[in-house]
Amino acid sequence: MVENKKTYMVKANEFVFTFDQEEIDKADFIKKNPTEFNLIRNNRSVNAKLLESDITGKEVMIEVDGETFELVIKDELDQMLDRMGFSTVSSKHIKEIKAPMPGLVLEVAVKEGQEVEEGEKILILEAMKMENSIMIHTNARIKRIAVSAGQAVDKGQVLVELE
Amino acid sequence: MKKILVANRGEIALRIMRTIRKMGIKSVAVYSEADRHSPHVLFADEAVCLGAAPSSQSYLNGDKIIAFCKELGVDGIHPGYGFLSENAEFAQKVTDAGIEFIGPTPEAMRIMGSKLAAKESVKKYNIPMVPGIDRAIEDVNLAIEVAYKIGYPVLIKASAGGGGKGMRIVEKADDMQEQMERAISEAKSSFGDGSVFLEKYVTSPRHIEVQVVADKYGNVIHGLERECSIQRRHQKVVEETPSAIVTPEMREKIGEAAVMVAKSCNYVSTGTVEFLVDDKLNFYFLEMNTRLQVEHPVSEMIIGLDLVEQQIRIARGEKLGITQDDIKPNGHAIELRVYAEDPLNNFLPSIGTLTKYEKPTGEGIRVDDGYEEGMTIPIYYDPMIAKLVVHGKTRTEAIQKMLQAIKEYKIEGVATTLPFGTFVFEHEAFFSGKFDTHFVKNYYTPEKIKEKQKANAEIAAMVAIKYWQERKKMLSPVEHKSTSWKRRLAH
Repeated sequence: MVENKKTYMVKANEFVFTFDQEEIDKADFIKKNPTEFNLIRNNRSVNAKLLESDITGKEVMIEVDGETFELVIKDELDQMLDRMGFSTVSSKHIKEIKAPMPGLVLEVAVKEGQEVEEGEKILILEAMKMENSIMIHTNARIKRIAVSAGQAVDKGQVLVELE
Repeated sequence: MKKILVANRGEIALRIMRTIRKMGIKSVAVYSEADRHSPHVLFADEAVCLGAAPSSQSYLNGDKIIAFCKELGVDGIHPGYGFLSENAEFAQKVTDAGIEFIGPTPEAMRIMGSKLAAKESVKKYNIPMVPGIDRAIEDVNLAIEVAYKIGYPVLIKASAGGGGKGMRIVEKADDMQEQMERAISEAKSSFGDGSVFLEKYVTSPRHIEVQVVADKYGNVIHGLERECSIQRRHQKVVEETPSAIVTPEMREKIGEAAVMVAKSCNYVSTGTVEFLVDDKLNFYFLEMNTRLQVEHPVSEMIIGLDLVEQQIRIARGEKLGITQDDIKPNGHAIELRVYAEDPLNNFLPSIGTLTKYEKPTGEGIRVDDGYEEGMTIPIYYDPMIAKLVVHGKTRTEAIQKMLQAIKEYKIEGVATTLPFGTFVFEHEAFFSGKFDTHFVKNYYTPEKIKEKQKANAEIAAMVAIKYWQERKKMLSPVEHKSTSWKRRLAH
């Protein structure tokens, strides 16, 4: 394998990027001190600050332009392990819908056993004087409704289970 | 006045108490069971619990508040904004109990609290008003007739509504009947009063308001204008003063109009007169807010007055110590309301615990807040975390200072309107001053914030790889030279 064709996958908060060694080598990058860096990219001069690092340097926290990013680097070996199924990331199949925020259930719009389509309203949750429609992001069949109208729920509490 | 109770919570309660203390007066905090840890409770000289978390069982319980005042020997109540601040009945009960209500008279609150009474009151002063009908109606046919006369688009507003609730825009005659019927039924169910009124809908409206200060002897001055056109859900997020579009001539005219509105209801204390300004800079009287406004700090910064101090001085019977000529704008001030809302998800409330909370500091930066790191944002109240206010010599300087302050404001655990603030202050329309209340609709999409975050994330990712590779290089030789058993021998 040619050294500069090595690829790296980096997770930065919810974003995922892939770079090869050539791109990294070409980057106009300077180190001001052990924790502060400057990168010129697309003519933009950006300062970055290392906030935290694990012992390997593969999991770090970096601040750019006032925003904090949690980063995980995956080299070729890590990526291969992921492909072989050793990844801890679970599949995309949604089994339940959880409350995105604490609040009060105002209305449940579905019934147990009902077939629902992506984008359909499941229930209305009231928080901070506002009514929020909780939608479903997949096609599914409602297995169980875990809450009822008038009930207060915590963040992360299961609202509805899907088949 | 020796002891003042602040009938409010969060940032505004704390801000009021700071002035109370500065004036050598004792402060009493009230709190609900959800707010025992709030800074306003910790700051106060005395504190009493009103009851359970929901406002109806705590901060809105006026009788309980008055009873506590009597028990604790309180001689003044400051209502802050929201909750009981514009409740004329409460103000009357406070006055009847022999306690000074730090704010306007119940009579002035009653007049300005009803849109129709307010219009009636200012009529004889020649204050410009948006063309429309001057009485509340429930008659659909009459509405169609009136709409025809003033011309479409037309705005239907619930007589008892407020804060953007109960409003409908009707674009054409065909929709009038249905929209009227829905507006009336909505007003009935929301406010218990189905009457609505109609006015011409101004298509590119700006929201500009004027601060007024009035004593008990009929002296009224205005404290210049505030531009509040950047709104989401008809609620303000960004305010500034002076406005980028108000000329000195217009400032004088709109200020005089505001003073006359205050005089029309014998106003006392601080208040705000709201105007709608169209694209030709015509201004129309909207309503008067009979309280201290959320965005009052921007005015304080450029006129150099502590408005809460003025309220307390006026309440205890002092004459205004300043005249209109003393009010001169010094520089420029901008406020960003930092809400626990997710600008990437339709500004929905984002509730949780403030796992990290660091405020920006520096000259010309003021943060009015009611939270500390580790605190949870309760679901029962308004989701505002703080008001970030900056002052600069010029508008440009203030904008730059704001952008820097946003970067230094570290909030983790909940999503906030801080990234939305960056979007606004970097936007060409805001910079040029050419914007109206449709700013969010016209320019904002979550993708624009996302794009920027992605660009920054990419840079962070590249820096991370560089850092990791350098670290590997530095660590490797050490590992080759000293194996673990050798290190063990050295000990």
